[in-house]
Amino acid sequence: MDAILIQEGALTRQQKEYIFLVCSGANLSTYCVTAHCEIVRMLGIQGPEPEQVAVNHASTALPESDKALLDFALKLNNHPAQVARQDMEALRAQGFGDPQILEAVLVVGLAKFANFVAFGLGTAPDFDPSKVVLSQRSFLGQEANLLAREDRPTDSAPGSGTGEDADAEVVARVKAGDLNAFEELVRRHSRRIYRTLVGILGEREEAKDAVQDAFLKAFQHLGEFQGRAKFSTWLVRIASNTGIERLRERKRLESLEEISLEPEAGFRPAQTQAWNDDPERVYSRAEVRKLMEKELMQLPAPYRTVVVLRDIEQLSTEDAAAALGLGIPALKSRLLRGRLMLREALSPYFARSAKRRTA
Amino acid sequence: MIGCDQFLAELGNYVDGQVEAEIRRRLEVHLAQCRTCQVIYDSTRKTVTILTESGSFDLEEPAAESIVAGIMEKIRAADSGAG
Repeated sequence: MDAILIQEGALTRQQKEYIFLVCSGANLSTYCVTAHCEIVRMLGIQGPEPEQVAVNHASTALPESDKALLDFALKLNNHPAQVARQDMEALRAQGFGDPQILEAVLVVGLAKFANFVAFGLGTAPDFDPSKVVLSQRSFLGQEANLLAREDRPTDSAPGSGTGEDADAEVVARVKAGDLNAFEELVRRHSRRIYRTLVGILGEREEAKDAVQDAFLKAFQHLGEFQGRAKFSTWLVRIASNTGIERLRERKRLESLEEISLEPEAGFRPAQTQAWNDDPERVYSRAEVRKLMEKELMQLPAPYRTVVVLRDIEQLSTEDAAAALGLGIPALKSRLLRGRLMLREALSPYFARSAKRRTA
Repeated sequence: MIGCDQFLAELGNYVDGQVEAEIRRRLEVHLAQCRTCQVIYDSTRKTVTILTESGSFDLEEPAAESIVAGIMEKIRAADSGAG
């Protein structure tokens, strides 16, 4: 259960939960549908109503690629003997690789298992759903995913698709065995990857270390990069995953409780004092940067990460969402929340009535 | 008429210039008469400007060089080791 469904793998937790829901719906397992609708909500997964996914995923606003994944899951669930090579090809055409297809198959199998056990034992949904997930809720929710997800198409995003990748030619040279060309890629992108990792990890020294990890991983997996996304987006995605893995590792050593209880809703701006028109009239540019860096480091990681990718790295909404394995609505809501938290923290410095203070 | 809650819900898109004309018009009607939302909008916009323009978390040149060197050293070592 843990390895197949709970852990982030080649598929996101969200994709796995949806597969689980679609199968449980088709198998008419009220227990499993009820439980997993609650789990989807508790995880804060943004998207269509989980009941709608369970009953008729085709009618939801999910991306076509996810719908294709769920079509496949449903076919395997309903007509396992009819699944053929063309079904795999259809998934590959949507950008899914073998690791993702394998996970989808496993989740279908797990759903069947769970559905049948629930029927066999005659269980009815009589539990307090919050207890089910509290112990399993991972602190970054659904955002981590693995390297192999490069090829999730981002064609819907104007300007982020193929055809204008400034790195394509250098990438091709590396693939042909030219190591010096890889050095060129490292030089082009190391600053951006560093900023991404500082943003995620909140610590400069560890970020430097993680930059090396990220580039080494990129080098090892370059063969899997097929140019369906831009190289820089793919790289930022690898860096995000590297950072998130480290963060998870760190949290495993600390307490998980604290983080998962962080309130998701109900954030209201409290500081309502007008700011100076030009913050740099009171503080030097270097001071402004220092203040901002200090306060940004204090944000909880999920918000800090999104703010760094969108506002400092200036990735498009679509690219940032793809890099983090988040849906667009989830990304936007975290971004707004992060910006508002930062605004709150900076207000005491920049409000017109504020006295000059040092960082 | 929209209220402060709805204004806040659209604030991110509004700051990024990603709202449709009709919604923008409604947001601006609200903004014209709500002092609190004016302040929140203005300071959020400034927060984003600081974020985008401050050049934060830049990597100083020597550190960048040593990172490049470290990466290439490992890759070349792995490459010659493998074959």
